[in-house]
Amino acid sequence: MCRIQFAIKQNIGTKHIFDKLANEYPLNEKHQVSIHRQYLDSFDWRLHQNSYICGMDNNDAVKSFFLEESETGQCVCTLPLNEVARFPQDVPHAKCRRLLERILQIRALICAASVNIRQRQLFILDNEHKTLIRLHVENYTIPGRTGLKPIPGRLLVFPVRGYKKVLHGVVQYISEQLKLSPVETSLLDEILAVTGKVPDPARLDVTKNLNDSLNTWQAAQILFSDLLNVMQANEQGLRDAIDTEFLHDYRVALRRTRSVLTQIKHLFPNKELEYFKQEFYWLGLVTSPTRDLDVYLLKFDDYAKVLPKELRDDLGPFRQFLRRHWKAEHAHLCEALNSKRYRKLIREWKRVLQRKSIQSPQTFNAKKPAKQVANQRILKLYKKVLKEGGAIAPASPDEDLHELRKTCKKFRYLMEFFQSYYPSNQIKQRIKRLKLLQDNLGDFQDLCVQTQQLSDFAQQMQDEGLADTKTIMAMGVLVQNLVSQKETVRCHFSERFKEFTSAESAMEFKAAFSCANTLEGVPA
Amino acid sequence: MKIIACYNIKGGIGKTATTVNLAYLASQEGAKTLVWDLDPQGAASFYFRIKPKVKKGGKGLLTGKKELDDVIKGTDFENLDLVPADFSYRNLDLELDDFKNADKQIRKLLKPLKQEYDYVFLDCPPSVSLVSENILVAADIIMVPTIPTTLSLRTLDQIIEFCKKIGIAHSKILMFFSMVDIRKKLHKEIIEQPAKNIKALKTSIPYASDVEKMGLHRQPAPVFARQSRSVKAYQALWSETKNFMAEDVRG
Repeated sequence: MCRIQFAIKQNIGTKHIFDKLANEYPLNEKHQVSIHRQYLDSFDWRLHQNSYICGMDNNDAVKSFFLEESETGQCVCTLPLNEVARFPQDVPHAKCRRLLERILQIRALICAASVNIRQRQLFILDNEHKTLIRLHVENYTIPGRTGLKPIPGRLLVFPVRGYKKVLHGVVQYISEQLKLSPVETSLLDEILAVTGKVPDPARLDVTKNLNDSLNTWQAAQILFSDLLNVMQANEQGLRDAIDTEFLHDYRVALRRTRSVLTQIKHLFPNKELEYFKQEFYWLGLVTSPTRDLDVYLLKFDDYAKVLPKELRDDLGPFRQFLRRHWKAEHAHLCEALNSKRYRKLIREWKRVLQRKSIQSPQTFNAKKPAKQVANQRILKLYKKVLKEGGAIAPASPDEDLHELRKTCKKFRYLMEFFQSYYPSNQIKQRIKRLKLLQDNLGDFQDLCVQTQQLSDFAQQMQDEGLADTKTIMAMGVLVQNLVSQKETVRCHFSERFKEFTSAESAMEFKAAFSCANTLEGVPA
Repeated sequence: MKIIACYNIKGGIGKTATTVNLAYLASQEGAKTLVWDLDPQGAASFYFRIKPKVKKGGKGLLTGKKELDDVIKGTDFENLDLVPADFSYRNLDLELDDFKNADKQIRKLLKPLKQEYDYVFLDCPPSVSLVSENILVAADIIMVPTIPTTLSLRTLDQIIEFCKKIGIAHSKILMFFSMVDIRKKLHKEIIEQPAKNIKALKTSIPYASDVEKMGLHRQPAPVFARQSRSVKAYQALWSETKNFMAEDVRG
C-alpha cells in the first residue's frame, strides 16, 4: 500500500498536529530522529526518467537504502546498508538489484540531491498496542545552502495492510479537521526545484535544430560548443572514475570534435587548424589506454563465460593485471588533464569558439551556408563509403575494413550533426542503416584489436611475472575464441554492405543531398 | 518466493519462536516476508499482537470465498506481514479432505503471492495430518527444530519416514537443535553427534529466557534482546538457512 503525504502549512507547528491527533487516536511517539538523506541517481538521471526514486537515509543509529516508485510512492525495497550503494551489485535485495541493473546498466549511482530531515515518528495503536497506522511528521532543510525558499514540512501516512477502515478515518480527519492538503509532488522533485537542479538528460544532447540561415562557422560554433560542453560535463566523473561512461562519453565528444574539425574544410586558418588537430589527437591518445582497459574489465565476465568452467578461475590473475594497469593508466590520464598543455588547449578552444567571424582567405567555407557545406561533405563521404566498401573482397586485408569503419564514422557524425536540415524520417532511416553496417565493422575492429592485445597482455604478464601456465593457457583459449568470432563477423560484412547499398540507390541518396546548389546564400 | 515451513510433530519445541524470529530477521534485510500462522492455537499471531481471526475461516480460504491476499495483516515491522491463525483451522483437515488434490491446496493458495513476497514462513500445528501434508508439499524447505533428547530424535525419524511416505524430497528437510541446555550431559552428547540420516544445520538454538519473554513483549526476540545469545543464534541459523537455499537472496 502506498503512503499518503500532506503538506504542512507554515503556520501549523508539528506539536499542534501531534496534540490534535493524540486527542482523537491512541497515539504513541516512538522516535524523534534526524536523518541525512542522499538521493541517488545516475549522472544522466536514469532512475528519474524511469519514475523511480532511490536513496540512502543516515541517522546516527541506522543507515538504510530505499527504492520507491516516484509516482505512487510505493516502496520497492528498504534495507539496512552500511555503505552508500554505487552499483546495483551493492544492493543485496535480489529483485531490487535486478531492477536497478535493468535501468542503470553500467552507470553508477551518484548523489543527485541531499536533505536533512527532522522526523517525528507517531503510531496509532489498537488496544493490544498493535500499530494500525504509522505517521511521520517531517521538516526539511537543505544542507550547506542558505537563502533558499523553504520546503514545507510534510505529514506522511503509512498504511498498515489489513486496516483500511482506520486509514480512511485518519485520512479524513487529517483533511477535514487538520485541514492539510495532499501533496502529489515527490520530495525529491521539490528539492530539485528549490535548488534549481534540472533532471534533464537531454542537456548534453548534441543534435540541435540548426537554423537554415546559419553560415557554416555559426553552425560549427554550436556543434563544437555542445561537444566541449559534453567533455567538460564528463571530466570530473572520469577523473573520479565514478563509472566508465564518463570517459566513454568524453571520448565520443572528443572524437566527434576531431571528426568535424577535419571534415568541414576551410573553416579555420591553417596554422590554427594544425594546432587543434594535433592537440585533440594527443588528447585522444592519452585517453585511450584507460578506455581500452575499461572495455576489457567490462567484458571480463563475458570472456570468462566462453571458457570451459574448469578454466574460468585461471583468468583471475588477468583481471588483477587489468586492474593494476588501469590504476596506472588512469593516473596518467589525470596527470594529462591537469597539465598546462590540456588547460591551454581548452582555453584556446573556448577562445576560438567565441569568435564571431573569421577573416582569412583560408576560411572561405566559414561564410557559406551551413546546409550547403553539409550537403557537399555528406555526399563526398557517401561516395567514399561506396568506393571503399565496394572494393572490399573476401581476401582484402583487415586494414581496408578498418579504413571503411573510420569513413563510416565520419559520415555518420556529419549526418547526425546536420540532421535537422533533412526530413526527419529519411535521415533517421539512413543513420539507422549506416549503424547496422557500423556495428559489423565495429565488432570486427574490436575483435582484431582484442585478439592482438590479449596476446600482448599475455606476454606482458609473463614479463611481469604475473601469470602462470594455467592463466596463459586460459588466455590462449580466449584468443582462439576471439579469432573464430572475428572470422564469423568478417563473413557477414558483404551481406551487411549489400543491405546498406541496396536500401537506397546512389541516385536517390545524391538527390537528397544535392539541393545545395538551389540554396540561397546567407549573409555572413 | 521461497516457502519455509517450520514443522515438528511435537509441540513446545520452538517452532513458532523460530518462525517469528527468522521471518523478522529476513524482513529486516529488506525481504518482503509473510508468516502464515496455521496453528489454531495462534501463538505467532499472539506474538505479533494480531487477533487470531480470519473472516470466513479456513473454509472460506479453501473455497475461494475469501482470497488469502484479503486476510493478510501488516505487522508492526516493515516488510513483514501475517496471515493470522483462526480457530476454525482445527477443522482444516476435514475441509481439505473434500478437495481433489487435497495435499496441494496450501500451495495453490500461496501461488498468487509469488511476485509479492520473497519469503513465506509457515508456522505449522504439531500433528501428522492432511494439513501437515499440505505444508510439507508447499514448502521449499522444511525446518525441523529438534530438542536433543532420545524421544525427540525418535520423532525426527518418524518425520523423515512420513516425508518419505508422502513423496517429499529428503533434500529439503533441514534439522537443527532447539532449546539446547548445554549444562545437560545428554543434550551435549547428542548435539556433538547429530543425526547422520538428515541434513543438520550447525547452529543450535539455546534454551533461553529471552525466547520465553517473547510472550511477555509480544515481539520477535531481536526487537527487545538484540545482543542476546539466543538472538545471535537465530541470526546464525538464518544465515545458514540462506546458504542452504543456495541462492544469494536477502530478497
